[in-house]
Amino acid sequence: MKWKKLGKIFDPTKFDLPGGCAEFAQSPQALVFDDFVRIYFSTRSVDKANGKYLSHVAFVDMNDALREVIGVSRHTVIGLGKLGCFDEHGIFPMNVLRHGGRVLGYTCGWSRRVSVSVDTAIGLAVSRDDGRTFERIGDGPVLAASLREPCLVGDPFVRVFGDVHHMWYIFGTGWKKFSPDAAPDRTYKIGHAVSDDGVNWVKEEGRRIIEDRLGADESQALPSVIRIGATYHMFFCYRQSHDFRTNRERSYRIGHARSDDLVDWTRNDGDPGLDVTEGDWDSDMLCYPHVFECKGKVYLLYNGNEFGRYGFGLAVLE
Amino acid sequence: MFKWKKLGKVFTPQDIEGRSWLKEFAQAPCALVFERFVRIYFSCRPQADAKGQYVSYSAYVDVDRADPTKILEVSARPILELGALGEFDEFGTYPVSVARSGGEVRAYYGGWTRCESVPFNVAIGFATSRDEGRTFTKAGNGPVLPYTPDEPFVLGGPKIRFFGDTWYLWYIAGRKWKVVDGRPEPVYKIRMASSPDGIHWSKTNRDLVESRIEEDEAQASPDVFYCNGRYHMFFCYRYSARFRGRERGYRIGYASSEDLTHWVRDDSKAGIDVSDEGWDSEMVSYPHVFELDERIYMAYLGNQVGKHGFGLARLEGTLN
Repeated sequence: MKWKKLGKIFDPTKFDLPGGCAEFAQSPQALVFDDFVRIYFSTRSVDKANGKYLSHVAFVDMNDALREVIGVSRHTVIGLGKLGCFDEHGIFPMNVLRHGGRVLGYTCGWSRRVSVSVDTAIGLAVSRDDGRTFERIGDGPVLAASLREPCLVGDPFVRVFGDVHHMWYIFGTGWKKFSPDAAPDRTYKIGHAVSDDGVNWVKEEGRRIIEDRLGADESQALPSVIRIGATYHMFFCYRQSHDFRTNRERSYRIGHARSDDLVDWTRNDGDPGLDVTEGDWDSDMLCYPHVFECKGKVYLLYNGNEFGRYGFGLAVLE
Repeated sequence: MFKWKKLGKVFTPQDIEGRSWLKEFAQAPCALVFERFVRIYFSCRPQADAKGQYVSYSAYVDVDRADPTKILEVSARPILELGALGEFDEFGTYPVSVARSGGEVRAYYGGWTRCESVPFNVAIGFATSRDEGRTFTKAGNGPVLPYTPDEPFVLGGPKIRFFGDTWYLWYIAGRKWKVVDGRPEPVYKIRMASSPDGIHWSKTNRDLVESRIEEDEAQASPDVFYCNGRYHMFFCYRYSARFRGRERGYRIGYASSEDLTHWVRDDSKAGIDVSDEGWDSEMVSYPHVFELDERIYMAYLGNQVGKHGFGLARLEGTLN
């Protein structure tokens, strides 16, 4: 199996997005319709109170060849959380799936802290208008910090295999100052939880299901899973935990693992592999992969340089 | 109405010397009875930092079993360390509730972190002691009770009990942050969870005690005591706004239950109120009821939610 890059397919700076969002189309996630594909992403506005970013969910509808933009959302897909709630300062990303005649949105909500920049938790929102808008099931999260997953529970990806809801997600293992004057950086790893109803989840509680390749300070993010034949494939991204924003040697790359039983995963980043392309929009960084199937083809959506400030691209599996 | 005889303030943190972490406050008392003494846990604070912000620690004072108003010893150090950078209990461990389990003592505590849009968040941690409750080791560096859709923030004020073969945790869950005079104030309600092992919890997911003085009444310190075939809950409640004085500050309420799940509130039975003058003339709060040599005591806080210590009252008659 091999990925063939199809290039960047969406640039947020070329469209009018709602809520004063101008840049960023991060963590694209597909919902396939009969004759088009809706791709959700997180874009950003600036908080007037302090100049910090707020992440908002928007979407673009593309034709099913994924070449042509039909339109972008001009309304609020899901509002931010209330004062003091886990998703008050942003939703990034939102994972969508159809189940039981509804569209479910699993959100990664952000709220700001004082000693460290942020904490996250995973919420659930439901759409009754085919994914146009979403309403949260409660003010609080469905998956949050616990004894052995102390912070930064986020990046949900949910699929139902058999009768079981599976969630792959990330949890923080801790914050660390890598030099005395540096702002604290976090490290996170990929975990797994199961559920009968998609609301009440049982975690594996701290088990890191994907082995580290860069050592203990590797951060792993945004797991995305697909079944091809009898094998499950997970795509995710990984990087060093500090000096990763501008140093291309330490920035995000796409990783891959496979499993026959959804329990044991064997990491093999190169098969199929996707790497940076010199001189192109994804020359320095590859992140936030999302794997999905459409019209018999397997695609990978992903972000390139600057964490998706100027959009996302696509690859197809050959 | 129950009749409590006030025994006065028992412990004053300002009287204690040589402990930089214990300068003010002795909040949320919780008793553990030993052969010759009663160990009363409380939460306290060092002096505020340059920005006026506090951290909180939990510690204990041992009082004489024969006369629990007599202090024997104060712990030399806090029973728990603060959490590491970014952890839920980085800025405080308050309050603490303890129970014996075999040869261990279990502690459930509120861990405090600081937020940007609201002043804080709280989650409940779990730790155990193998040295008779002098020091505790955390079970993990995250909380034992997670936030859920209907309990979004401020999970605090744990009270741990073991009845039959089940662990019960009463606690408070934040309902909303209400902006009062430009400042966010939390509204919280009494909730419950049960567990076979004290680690994996099932939440009841509803408010246990109806709100009486207003819809946004804040309720805290749900302290449950079994006596005469009934479960008795003493708790405290206050108005949601401008509650830092006598008129709208904390009072002690009461509810009872026969099955631990359905509770009937009747504050007129509580039998303890503010005094005309003295250390508990503006508010009474954070009740904890315990039995000692066939007498029932209540430890509680007075003015400024325990800034100057806690006191004791003794029941005259029985709870029924």
